[in-house]
Formats: sequence, structure tokens, C-alpha cells
Amino acid sequence: MFRKILILTLLIALLTACAPQATPIVDNFPTEIVATEAPTEAPVSAALTFTDGLGREIQLDGPAQRVVSLAPSNTEILFAIGAGAQVVGRDEFSDYPVEAASIGSIGGSMGQYSAEAIVASTPDLVLAAEINTPELVKQLEDLGLTVYYLKNPTTIEEMYTNLETVGQLTGQDVTELVDSLKARVAAVDEKVATTTDKPVVFYEIDASDASKPFTYGPGTFGDLLITRAGGVNFSTAAGITDAYPQVSLEQIVATNPAMIVLGDSMWGTTPESVQARAGWDAIDAVKNNQIFPFDDNLVSRPGPRLVDGLEQLAKLLHPDLFK
Amino acid sequence: MKNKPFLSSSLLLLLAILLSLAIGSVFISPSEIWQTILGQGTDISTSILWKIRLPRTVLIALTGAALGGSGATYQGLFRNPLADPFLIGVASGAGLGAVIAMSVKWPYSFWGLMAIPMAAFVAALLTVFIVYNLARVGRTVPTTSLILAGVAFSSFATSLTSFLMLRSTGEVRRALGWLLGGASQSGWTAILAIAPYLIIGLGILIFSGHALNLLQFGDDQAQQLGLNVPRAKRILLIASSLSTAAAVAFSGIIGFIGLVVPHLIRLWFGPDYRRLLPLSILGGAASLIISDVIARVVLAPQEIPVGIVTSLAGAPFFLWVLRRSKNQGFW
Repeated sequence: MFRKILILTLLIALLTACAPQATPIVDNFPTEIVATEAPTEAPVSAALTFTDGLGREIQLDGPAQRVVSLAPSNTEILFAIGAGAQVVGRDEFSDYPVEAASIGSIGGSMGQYSAEAIVASTPDLVLAAEINTPELVKQLEDLGLTVYYLKNPTTIEEMYTNLETVGQLTGQDVTELVDSLKARVAAVDEKVATTTDKPVVFYEIDASDASKPFTYGPGTFGDLLITRAGGVNFSTAAGITDAYPQVSLEQIVATNPAMIVLGDSMWGTTPESVQARAGWDAIDAVKNNQIFPFDDNLVSRPGPRLVDGLEQLAKLLHPDLFK
Repeated sequence: MKNKPFLSSSLLLLLAILLSLAIGSVFISPSEIWQTILGQGTDISTSILWKIRLPRTVLIALTGAALGGSGATYQGLFRNPLADPFLIGVASGAGLGAVIAMSVKWPYSFWGLMAIPMAAFVAALLTVFIVYNLARVGRTVPTTSLILAGVAFSSFATSLTSFLMLRSTGEVRRALGWLLGGASQSGWTAILAIAPYLIIGLGILIFSGHALNLLQFGDDQAQQLGLNVPRAKRILLIASSLSTAAAVAFSGIIGFIGLVVPHLIRLWFGPDYRRLLPLSILGGAASLIISDVIARVVLAPQEIPVGIVTSLAGAPFFLWVLRRSKNQGFW
């Protein structure tokens, strides 16, 4: 009896298979590309060649008009240089600027990107960042897509170079943007140079265990920006060499930072909660209530908002200089 | 259907493959699949089918087959219902190997991209070798010692892996993604790389049903019934570890399939290993494919790591079957 039912089901399945084709159900994607007004004066050559961060040779027939961004930093860069209309897909974490939210997501929240979604959005360029694995790059390359791997900058100046590279990839002129960023950074440098007071700053990345928080060490942008904003990073003061060290409360008390910056404020940490922590009241920063919430994205995403991060840190560190 | 286990399992596998080929961000109906195979599909469906879905389905099927087969083997070998392919440390060893390999910046070349799966594979086999020799007493390997040595080495490897993950700066996300499982490398390279090991491993296992049946009586009894017990154990261990290592190398750690699929087969079709092993292989492939489809679809376009889906979906399903089963339970 069961066998008869099974055979019947199979026959029905075969019949439905011969039904007219289902049209592809593609949610989320804009199927039209918005024509981009590229205010570019850069010469549009017949073929553009680049060498990306993995040493691969990339060839484009012309500036890319349909870009899929695989990292929030890349999305920020694309929008900042004026190529926002050319973005046809972005990863799940791309939340800045607000316009990015309306672009179709191609996955990435658990490190897994939907190759199908990327292919279905027919990009002519996929912009990867160091947060993406070489395996992903290879996978997309094997599917016939052009992937550019943008290496993380290690200095602010390298970030300008990245902006210029993405500008060339998308046919956008970035000189104005880069000049304005340079001017803002120079303004900060100028004011910071006038003071010799460099307070020790403890930048808290995460303190789920309040006796063993994580902070930025040498080689990270957090460290770089704090130093450039006229402060001394806790890790430097404490002689730590790891990039994302987990430090003990004792060490923080011993080094006694003058200021605590809460990079984990977006996860709910407030100055009040820090005041309430056991043992933290021995620290100067807590005694003088020099605890400040901070948007960690300004310091961890390697894009033009690093300059925003620098300015905000400078204002926190030297409020008298930056009225 | 109880009388036709192979037929129903094969049908289930076929259905699972069909689902996996059809479902995704773009739905490709069975007729379209047929047309694409004949070479008349649209550009997008041809590209998606041949380059993404088919290799992924085959890789997942092979992984599931390996996990199901070695799970059943381990359960028979250790006479323990809680045994799974990762009991003697294959998973943690592979994880450690992969995480160590991830801390090196390999060049972007064929071998550079192969480095991590190869490191995982070699580390997995090395782990089994170490654990086997730790547990060995002369020429025999007491089962309990094997389990204990495996568990101890597993904890060691896992803590070392966690330590390395904490210390590595940018690679934690990558390591975590690998450890949670999933077909990260698409394309046929991965399949070609693991196929030889799987063919050898699973090939041996399929014909080991009789030996495993004998082992259920205990080592002494099995020896008296004519089985060369140390040799059989060694061969079974090698074959299943080879399959598991190959499965883990590219797909990461996917738990639950190796534990639960043999139990389900046992509940439905009985404990005879001559049937249980091949059916676990088929069943493992089918269930992993279905889990992968779920992983792709539930939060589209997000893709959940398959390892999460197998546990989340597998556990309730298994409990439901267990409750409904009228059998007394063979354990």
C-alpha cells in the first residue's frame, strides 16, 4: 500500500516537473541600475589594470558600475567617494551611511556570504576587504567575478591611497575628499602639537569580564588615533605588545589612566556601569568621572571615518584646545 | 517501506539532491535543472547550477556520507551509543591544525589556498595516530583506553585552539566560521582533493558490516568467532578516521550527523551492521544535504553555518523519532 502511494507521489512529482518554468525568485536586488553621474575628470582608459592586496592582477574594461561590497568599511568608502549609486550589493553589517540599508544584502553575518546572491546581482566588481578570507576571494573568482581585495591601511595616509584606488576602480574623483580629510587631520595635528600634556587613555573594547577587559594594542588604529590625538594609549604605557590584549584590572589600576573611552558603548556599557564596577574606583579616570562613550566603528573600520574618530578622540583628550 | 531500506534511503537521497539543486536565492525548478543539464538553461541558472550548487551539493553529500559511515563504525567499534566520529579527537585535532595554519599568511596561490584544508587533514590523522598509540597495550587496544585517551587529547587540542584563536588578531572570525562548519570552498577542487580518501575509507567501511557485527559480542568472543580483532579494529579505525579527516578538511566540524543518523537507521531498520553501515552512509548524505538547504534558506540571504543547523534541527527531530518509536531501543 505504502509502495503504491510512493509511486503515485513520484509520478505526480514528475508531472509537475514538466510544468512551465518557474521564474527566478530574486528578492532584495534592484534589477535596474541607477545611472550614475560620475563627476570624474579621471581619464577613462580602455582597460584599467590594478594589482590588489593579494598580489592579484585585476583588469577592468572601464570604471565599475555595479559594485558588490563585502565589508562595511568598503561600503563606507564607496559612499564617501560618491559611488553610492554604483553599489548593487552589500554585506549584512554595512550600516553606514543610512542609504546603504536599502541596498540588497548578500549575506556575511556569520562569515558566510551567499555566493548565489552575489552572482545573481551581476556585479562587474566585487570589493573585498581584509576581513574577507582568501578562500572567499577564490570562490568568487572561480565563479567568473572580478574581485578586488583592498588591504587594510596601517596609517591614515595609506587610507587616502585606498580611497584613491577605489576612486579609480569606480571612476570617481577623490581629490576633493582626500584634500578635505588631509586638512582636518592637519588641523588636529597642529593643535595637538601645542600641548605637552598627553593623558593616558584606556580604550575599552569589551569588558564582559570586568576584571579582564580587552583593549587596543600597538598596530591597531585605536592605538594610532589615540596617539595622534595627543594621548598615550594604555597598552603603550603598560608595555603591552599584543594587538588586542586582554588586560587585568590590576594592571589598569597600576597604570592609572586619566581617561577611559568606552568602545563598547554600542553594546550597552555606560559610564555609570563602569562606576559601579568593583575595584575600578581606584582608577583616576573613574574618580574624576572621565569616562566617555564612543562609537567604535569610527576607530575600527578602515575608511574615511577614521578622521571622524581622530577628531572626536582629540576633542575628548584636549577639550580646551578643541572648543 | 520497512522492507526496502535501500530503496527508501536512495529515494530520500535523490529527493534531497533535487531540493539542494533547486533551492537557493534563485529557485531553479526541476524542469529547468533538466534543461540546464541538457545545456539549454539560461546563463544565470547554468552558472549557478554548475559552478555553485552542484559542487556544493556533491561536497556536502560526500561529507555527510563520511560522517554517517564513520559514526556508525565508531558506535560499533566502541559498542557505545554516544560514540560519534569525533570521539577520539579527530575534530579537535583538525581544528587545531586549521587554526595553526590560519595564523600564517599563505600566498594567494593554489597551494596557499590548500594549506588550511591540508593542515586540518594531516592534523586529524596525526591525532588519531597519537591517541591510538597512547591507548595501545602491546598489540591490543582496549576500547576504554582509546576513548579516554581520545577525550583527554581532545580537551587539550580544543583549549590550545581556543588559546590560539584569542591571540590571533584578525583570524578569529575565520577560525570560528571554519569550526562551525560549512562548505566554504566551492568548486570541484575540494571534491577532487578528498575523493580518493573517501573512496578508500568508505569503500572499506561498506564491507565491514560483518566484522562489526562480530565485535558487538565483545573482543574476546569476536576473537573466538574467528575475527582477527586487533587487525580489524585497526583497519576500521584507519578507514573511518580517513573518511572523517577528509570530511572535516573542507567542511569544518559538523556535529550531530555522525551521532544521530546511525541511531535513526537503527531504529527504523535494525542493528545489523551489514545494512546499518551502507544505510548510514546514504542517510548521512541525505540529512546533511537537507540541513544545508535549511541553512541556506531560513535566513536568506544569510547562510547559517551547517553545524548549527544540524544540531538545532537534528536534536528535536531525533527526540521526536525516539519518542514515537515502538521499539524497545537496542541500547
